[in-house]
Parts: sequence; structure tokens; C-alpha cells
Amino acid sequence: MRGTVLWALSWAPVAISVNQTIGQLTWVRGSSMRPSLNPDSSLGAHDLLVLKKYGLRKPGGIVKGDVLVFRSPMDAERVMVKRVLGTAGDTVRPRPTSTYPKKQVKIPANHVWLEGDNVHSIDSNTFGPVSTGLVIGKAVQVIYPFSRWGQVSAGGREDAVVQPTEYK
Amino acid sequence: MSAIARTLSWAIRIGCTVHVIHNNVYELCETSGESMLPTLHYTGDFVHANKLARRGRNCEIGDVIIASKPTDPEQRVCKRITGMPGDYIIVDPTTADCAMIKVPDGHVWVTGDNLTHSLDSRSYGPLAMGLIKGKVFGVSNGLNFRAI
Repeated sequence: MRGTVLWALSWAPVAISVNQTIGQLTWVRGSSMRPSLNPDSSLGAHDLLVLKKYGLRKPGGIVKGDVLVFRSPMDAERVMVKRVLGTAGDTVRPRPTSTYPKKQVKIPANHVWLEGDNVHSIDSNTFGPVSTGLVIGKAVQVIYPFSRWGQVSAGGREDAVVQPTEYK
Repeated sequence: MSAIARTLSWAIRIGCTVHVIHNNVYELCETSGESMLPTLHYTGDFVHANKLARRGRNCEIGDVIIASKPTDPEQRVCKRITGMPGDYIIVDPTTADCAMIKVPDGHVWVTGDNLTHSLDSRSYGPLAMGLIKGKVFGVSNGLNFRAI
């Protein structure tokens, strides 16, 4: 019995390391990514996502259209899930209905413009471009509910980027 | 189980334990650069970081922190917190114009102690607390330890 407990304890750091560096499962709460994630939470079923955590810093690791899980710049203990609409160097137009102080935003190096697919979403239209250092992982697959098994679907505003970056 | 498999299994477990402690509890890391003079020497100083203070937990004004640089998260910076959320800050006291900004929620204002040779919040703006990796509580240079 004591041996089993010690054995389990000795493997716990391995599990934590895998969770922190390679991949993780996470539930999606809220409706800000509707219809791509949690299309109908009235049934009580939230989406369960597989996050990829390695290789995101490489060139091409985070591209437009990716769905990212990240720490909110407004509150580091809060985790959010949004879609990348613009990457470093792009000029982005905030959502027309938002109160963002600028009409056009140039995304700084290693930052991304993140928006929910749902208009009712607190995102870069409130807090501006987000540093990639706050990114926890990239959503690659929905695995629950089983009827929704598959890759995260495409979506998001298409008129966000005014001027794509030239050096790509 | 063969000896090789057993050794490998232990190596993985010990390596991951060290990694978890290094990431979440305590880290000793070397610093370089003149931005924190005179608190930290430009070379050869090792700082003891409390990683339980990750994401700005229990961080206060005056604390020295280690964080990812917002414009290049691969790089680490070591700076002092000089403004907490809600504070009004003079962006650059070394210039004539006294432009002020309010530090947004969930952010801190960080500057190096050596204002003339430091790349900090004055250029990249308020730092999101999520980028804070730990709080520095001591510095070692050789066998000398001094608390911060």
C-alpha cells in the first residue's frame, strides 16, 4: 500500500510536466466563442478541448484563425479562449461597435489580436493586442461532447485585418 | 524490468521533479545587463526567485520581479515594480513632459533601477501580471548572499 502511494507520488511531477509543456485537456466555459465552441450550452454540455502547448513560439506556431487559450491581461488568474484575427505586423481594425480608442491598430512584435466569435465577448477590443507570453495553449481538437468530436471550426470576423504584414 | 529501463524511469521522474520545482517553487538564475545597477551587478550575480509569486501573486510596489518581456516572451527581464493597478504614473521622469498614465487592471509598471540604461515599461508599456514568473528575494555573488 505504502509502495503504491510512493510510486504514484513519484510519477506526479511527470504528469504535471506533461500538462505544463506538452498538452492538456480543458473545459470551455461561457459563450464568447459561439458558434465555434459551446454552440448550445443550454443542454449543460460544455466542450472539452485538447490544448497543444509545444512549438507555439516557432515561426508559424501561431497563425491567423487559431483558437488560443491564454491568461487575461486584465486578470492573470482568469483564463480565456479566443481566436487570433491578427498577428505581429498586421494592421487591425477593431470591431466597429467597440469603444476601442483607436480606429486602426498595428500589432507589435510577439503580440496577437484576439477576438471571440460571438459579438458579446470581452477581448482585444477592450484590452488591445495580447503578448504571446500570456498564451497557455492552442485549441486543436474538441473531444467532448462526442457528437462534436473534431477540429475546432473556422470562424471570426473577416474584415479585421486592414493591411497584412509585408515581411511574411 | 531491466536495469536500463529502471534507470531511465528514475531519470524521467527526477528530471520532471526538478523541472516542476524550478517552474513553480524556486529558481536560481544568473542575471546580466546593467539595467538593475546598483541592486544587481551587470555580470556574475545570481538571483533567488520565489516562483510561488508567479502571475503577480502577493507582489507589491518595490518588489524586484522576473518576467517575460512582452515584445519577446523568450527573453526574461528583471525589474522593480514601481506601479500597481490603478496607480497614476509619470511615464518618463527623465524627460521634460510629465505625461501620466493610469496602470490598467491586471498590469504593473516596471522599471530598472538604472533608469538611463533600462528597457522597461517606459518603452513597452504596463506589464501584464500573467507575464510575471517570480519574485526575487535574494542575490548571491560567489558565497555572499544579500536579501532584497
